[in-house]
Amino acid sequence: MDGAMLRLLLPALLFLTTMLVVARCDDHGDRSDLVIVGGGEVFTLDPQRMSYLRDMRMGGALYEGLVRLDLDNGDFNPAAAWKWDVSSDELTWVFYLRPESRWSDGSPVTAHDFAWSWLRLLAPDTAADYSNLFFMIKGSRDFWDWRQTQLEEASGGNEGIDGPALWTEAEDHFRKSVGIDVLDDYTLRLQLEHPVPWLLDLLAFAPASPVHRPTVEGWPMEGVSTDVGWHRLDPPPWSSRRFVDFNAKTGRLQQDHRWARPGRLVGNGPYILDAWRYKRDMRLKRSPTWRDPDGVQNNTITTLTIEDPNTAVLAYESGSVDWIHGVNVDYRADLVELARSGKRDDVHIIPAFATDFFSFNCRPELPGGDLNPFADALVRRAFARSVDRSVIVDNVTRLHEPAIATLVPPGSIPGYVSPAGLQHDPDQARADLSEAGWIDRDGDGMLESLDGTPFPVISLLYTTNTPRYKRIALALREQWERVLGVEVELVGRDTKFYKNDLREGDFMIARGAWYGDFGDPTTFLELFRSTDGNNDRGFVDERVDRALDAAAMEGDPRVRMSMLSELERYLFEEQVPMIPICQIVDVHMYDPGSIEGITHHPRQVQSLWNIRRTDRQEVMARGTAP
Amino acid sequence: MKRGGLPRMIVSRLLQLPLILLVIYTITFMLVWIIPGNPLEKPEGRRPPAEIVDAMQARYNLDDPVVFYGDYLSGVSGLDWVLGDREGPVIDFGPSLRHENWTVNEILAAQLPVSILLGLSAVALACLIGIGAGVLGAVRPGSLLDLGSLLLALVGISLPAFVIGTVLLVVFAVHLGWFPVGGWGEPGHVMLPALALSLPFAAYIARLTRSGMLEELQSDHVRTARAKGMPEYTVVLKHALKNALLPVLSYLGPATAAAMTGSFVVEKVFAVPGVGTHFVDAVLGKDITMILAVVLVYSALLVLLNLCVDILYRWIDPRIEPSGISA
Repeated sequence: MDGAMLRLLLPALLFLTTMLVVARCDDHGDRSDLVIVGGGEVFTLDPQRMSYLRDMRMGGALYEGLVRLDLDNGDFNPAAAWKWDVSSDELTWVFYLRPESRWSDGSPVTAHDFAWSWLRLLAPDTAADYSNLFFMIKGSRDFWDWRQTQLEEASGGNEGIDGPALWTEAEDHFRKSVGIDVLDDYTLRLQLEHPVPWLLDLLAFAPASPVHRPTVEGWPMEGVSTDVGWHRLDPPPWSSRRFVDFNAKTGRLQQDHRWARPGRLVGNGPYILDAWRYKRDMRLKRSPTWRDPDGVQNNTITTLTIEDPNTAVLAYESGSVDWIHGVNVDYRADLVELARSGKRDDVHIIPAFATDFFSFNCRPELPGGDLNPFADALVRRAFARSVDRSVIVDNVTRLHEPAIATLVPPGSIPGYVSPAGLQHDPDQARADLSEAGWIDRDGDGMLESLDGTPFPVISLLYTTNTPRYKRIALALREQWERVLGVEVELVGRDTKFYKNDLREGDFMIARGAWYGDFGDPTTFLELFRSTDGNNDRGFVDERVDRALDAAAMEGDPRVRMSMLSELERYLFEEQVPMIPICQIVDVHMYDPGSIEGITHHPRQVQSLWNIRRTDRQEVMARGTAP
Repeated sequence: MKRGGLPRMIVSRLLQLPLILLVIYTITFMLVWIIPGNPLEKPEGRRPPAEIVDAMQARYNLDDPVVFYGDYLSGVSGLDWVLGDREGPVIDFGPSLRHENWTVNEILAAQLPVSILLGLSAVALACLIGIGAGVLGAVRPGSLLDLGSLLLALVGISLPAFVIGTVLLVVFAVHLGWFPVGGWGEPGHVMLPALALSLPFAAYIARLTRSGMLEELQSDHVRTARAKGMPEYTVVLKHALKNALLPVLSYLGPATAAAMTGSFVVEKVFAVPGVGTHFVDAVLGKDITMILAVVLVYSALLVLLNLCVDILYRWIDPRIEPSGISA
């Protein structure tokens, strides 16, 4: 290259060098003890607003509920509470908090923190996804309704809404009517509407974690001693609370979530939030105030947001990532194959507490008044019996998921015996369809009803965001057309449109999935209650509603489990509102020789502080030692 | 020609900017509002009760397009700030509807510099590669060098970024280990995505330079320069290239804007935290505030960069009448 050329290109070269130097200034510091990639950007660090697994994983690291679930043996360990008592009727629970527990700002964790956080959880203003899971707390459903009515009445009037006054009234009402009582600073009493065998499971759930009121509301805390809890301070006027205000139109309390930021967020868990950069990374570091410093196996954890699944795997292969939580590459099935044949020990197939299924539209007729053959349980059974799940999991998804014919993944809940459900039986399927009156009456190869109406073309709705459901839908179409002689039309839609169709009941068969939230069959079976907000199928059966109510009132846990098992049998062998296909599996990548403490339990509640890096050689040496 | 043309052009263009943005805002708003779906609805998980959905819609003015339009406009234009109705930043793009923990201002403040840095690096690389390849090709048309530059152009234009990106990652990051696999924060993080992002631009620039050069090398003033016995490289680089670069220059305006607002694919493949993802994700998720913000920022960038190009044009060739004012 000659001189003139160089002169011309010099500015560009200089510019590039400057860019590289500028980029350098954006550096983050040392690599964390543990680097995780998993499941996209965290939606919220406000525990009451959480509903994604990845958010709850962070919730468990930053906050601590009354108890913790030990997945390895299904026990509940003391956490913020060091012990608890239950009344003989199982309606009153008293929790004793540790006086030595501290928030990360040094102030004590008290029963007031829990009572206030649960007010947030149970007030409609917060729009918590999981409020209704906690409606078994005495008076809580009434409180929710009361607050809704209060707000609606106030916004109906002509004069402006006095948000603060309404909220103060609501707080009073909550204190008087809801069964959450602060007996003293470190004793909390909980009263229930009916016995809840899975109560501790719910209390270990991230949305039941406490939050620090001065932080969440943004109280001016300069110069205020953190030796005493906030309940001993006078709350500042609303105008000086930075992160809450009231909506002028609706009077609702509104939360500004900028309290959940590094340097501001105060938690009572093993970690504090060190850094959070939108769609880049989140960094946790060991909390200096956590009650059990020896129980934390690592000092820093970074979660990277890598949206492209390929890049995540490449980053793992290059060693900059320790653990991928949920590998989602196109060649995932090939990775699984390598793991199954023993060629890779760092690919882990972990069944989740979740099921993939296809829902029938069970409404008497379709929108527009079209004939709905699936209003008839016999037709639903015929379709369910035509499905050969082993073909789907072995040849279509190739992930070899556990093929299941019930919604609750068998074996995932101790003490619960899953019914068999409807297995693949083509002959019985055809017989069911004939019994339902669909027979080829004129010999044209098509099915007709008694009055000659031809069997409608079945539309099968799936989502197009991953190829997985298109492949399964294709296999189902092939099986139904072959076994039953019906015509199936595939309708692939983007998630947004799909959700809309589900809500409007505008489908005949639609894909779906459900993740359980707590270790009880009702986390799945409540889906079939006629009034459930997620009853996409429009399935209404009084017998199911009554059975769910009866099980809720049953005091003997063993009898209760068998009642639920019988209910699931009725649902999946007689009514069949949906066809379960398989338990969902997650594929993880981590080197078992250098990472310890990741649970393979289906619930997948990962305790980040239990995970530690070990040197591979060290572990192997230990393994061979006498 | 008029000497005072340049300042007048700059002032009039800057005065046009708010008007252009208002029109773009209005059209985008109307298009975005009719996208089906509710931005506050989560793609997975439980469905909140209807009254909660209504309350959340009311909170973000999603229940009333007129109120939303006016409210957002006064925030984004800084009007309410000027009137003293609001504290905080002068221009307020509102809350992100999909990520309640962040405001759009915060997201853009974190991501726009990343995209600008990456985009400018890519454009610089594209100029380096493109002009170099174009000149070499034009000097010896039909030679191996020319074929090489043609090949580069073909590869750059026809191979999609996710292929180039993945190949670059596998070769240079995983096998050779020279660069990190994705992420942002070290100098090494810029190189591969900038290269992947630059190739289509480089290819186009190479073709523009080559055809411009071929034409210039046949022109009278080049023949005169050669006749005067000037060394060939002076002829090529000083006399021919300067004029041959005019079409490249006019291409650089939109190219820089396009590169700086990021490439959805390149940013995704290299896990670069830039604004590119919003052009797709925000629309899919109907994140109205985010869509409006990126469209407005992109439009403003485009207008300003085109203005820069026009200024540069005049600097290179003062005979050119600035566009935007009538003679």
